[in-house]
Amino acid sequence: MKRTLISLVVLAVTGIALSLATGPLGLNAPGQVILFLRLPRILLAIAAGASLAVSGCILQAVLRNPLATPYTLGISAGAGVTAGFIILSGISLPIFLVYLSGTAGALAASTLTWFIAGRSQRDHSGLILAGVTVNLLGASVLLLIEYMSPASRLVEIIRWMMGDLAIAGYRRVLFLLPFLVAGMVPAIMRTGTLNQFLTGTEMAESRGVNTVRERLLLLIAAAVLAGGAVGAVGPIGFVGLIVPHTMRRLVGGDYRRLLPLSALGGAVLMLWADIFSRVVISPAELPIGVILSLLGGPFFLYLLVKKPRL
Amino acid sequence: MSELIFQEFAAGYSPGVMAVSGVSMRITGGSVTAVIGPNGSGKSTLLKGIMSFPGIHSRGSVTLDSSPVQSMNRSERAGRIAYLPQSPPVPAGLTAIETVLLGRFPHRSAWSSDTAEDTRIALDALDMVGASHLADKFTDEISGGENRLVNLAAVLSQKTEVILLDEPGSSLDYGHAAQLWKLLSDLADRGIVILATTHRIEMSGNAFDKVLLLSEGKALAFGNPEDVFLSKDLLSRVYKTPMKVRQSSPGSSWIVFPGSSE
Repeated sequence: MKRTLISLVVLAVTGIALSLATGPLGLNAPGQVILFLRLPRILLAIAAGASLAVSGCILQAVLRNPLATPYTLGISAGAGVTAGFIILSGISLPIFLVYLSGTAGALAASTLTWFIAGRSQRDHSGLILAGVTVNLLGASVLLLIEYMSPASRLVEIIRWMMGDLAIAGYRRVLFLLPFLVAGMVPAIMRTGTLNQFLTGTEMAESRGVNTVRERLLLLIAAAVLAGGAVGAVGPIGFVGLIVPHTMRRLVGGDYRRLLPLSALGGAVLMLWADIFSRVVISPAELPIGVILSLLGGPFFLYLLVKKPRL
Repeated sequence: MSELIFQEFAAGYSPGVMAVSGVSMRITGGSVTAVIGPNGSGKSTLLKGIMSFPGIHSRGSVTLDSSPVQSMNRSERAGRIAYLPQSPPVPAGLTAIETVLLGRFPHRSAWSSDTAEDTRIALDALDMVGASHLADKFTDEISGGENRLVNLAAVLSQKTEVILLDEPGSSLDYGHAAQLWKLLSDLADRGIVILATTHRIEMSGNAFDKVLLLSEGKALAFGNPEDVFLSKDLLSRVYKTPMKVRQSSPGSSWIVFPGSSE
């Protein structure tokens, strides 16, 4: 536990330092570049990574399904569709409203997944199959949006879908903050409750947890975190899968440790993936979504085969 | 000593259809009550009804020392009544002791850490079920029977006046089953009300003092084991197969088994 925490802090600090120094001209870049391009980008990576990891962490406990993540449940796809619509329409909404619509899309998609899965199968593979369905639905709607888009917007949509951390200034980070807080605070306050969900709803209920209310609150928190993050950086998959499972191996399944460390782990993963994305074909950038998918695909397969904890 | 009184209690999954009904009985601390009956007779639903789980409807009343159980709020109930489901999921990435500590949840706030007192109670509980050696093992790396013991310890660490157990002996071998029923009997002696469903009467030795017999959702008989078991043809009618009942000497284990007359 202590070793994991120290390693993560070291990785975070070196990641931040390296990220500040990475880019054309390195550390010789003008101060403006470092302060208004690189630093906000770092903060965005940290906020989005933590949000996505914690969102997955919550979903896995509440739905008692190891493969539950914002991505596999179609939540990201939902957020993607609303964001795609906004880009297509060309309306220049305030950034905050873009995130908010991302959250609305995330909530709508998770509700849809929940109902498709049906009452009896929500705990099991039915839920993931429903998520895949919603994902496919979302993907086809996005394709339609892309088809209807003029070329200029199309580039924008595709770029966003690949995951986009390139920002200038602090507005995007600032507006992501309320989503981060609104999702993270109730989750951290409920780590003990999340533990109770691990032994099933009946045991949780018998120990005084209002499972219906708490599950709903936690699902909303997960959707707010995922929706905000997807609105801000695009539908980046697998962070919610890779991070909680790795952390579970390292520090065990007690959510009082797992959840905060997953937040930290998500931030570290995003930070380093971003550095990688900027150096691998430098001076050009590889979209961060591509890197995480390359990492996440095999990991997902490994979890499928290995029968993970949970 | 605690006392659980049922009056025309009924429970089911929809308000109109009660899966179990007509339960009127009075069980007190100091005794173990076994709920028996064929599959689908409503044993599990009875326990879930007492717990007022979401989606379960109940009628009639259950009172614990004159406070109605159905109108207790969740945390009050969790402090007084513990429940062990038939097959709770195995928690991911938790050790046995961490799983037992989950039972301390009603006694602290949702995010506080375990106190030394909590840990002591949890270790005691593991010791009581004879599973101290599993303390630091991961629950997904031990057997189904061992997990049963760990869950039982979690229920004990909740320190309640009433313990409801749904098939506590399932997936336990002879030795552990005997140990389990002995433990329940000892707990009852300390004044705890024990209500346990079981399919395997012979596995419970002479641990229980009262029997509630359910059949097709109705409470058919409640009383001392001899009154229920030796009532002419009652078990044979309920189980729809000829049943034999033996007791080698008064006070010893009951042996109930299917078989035609000799």
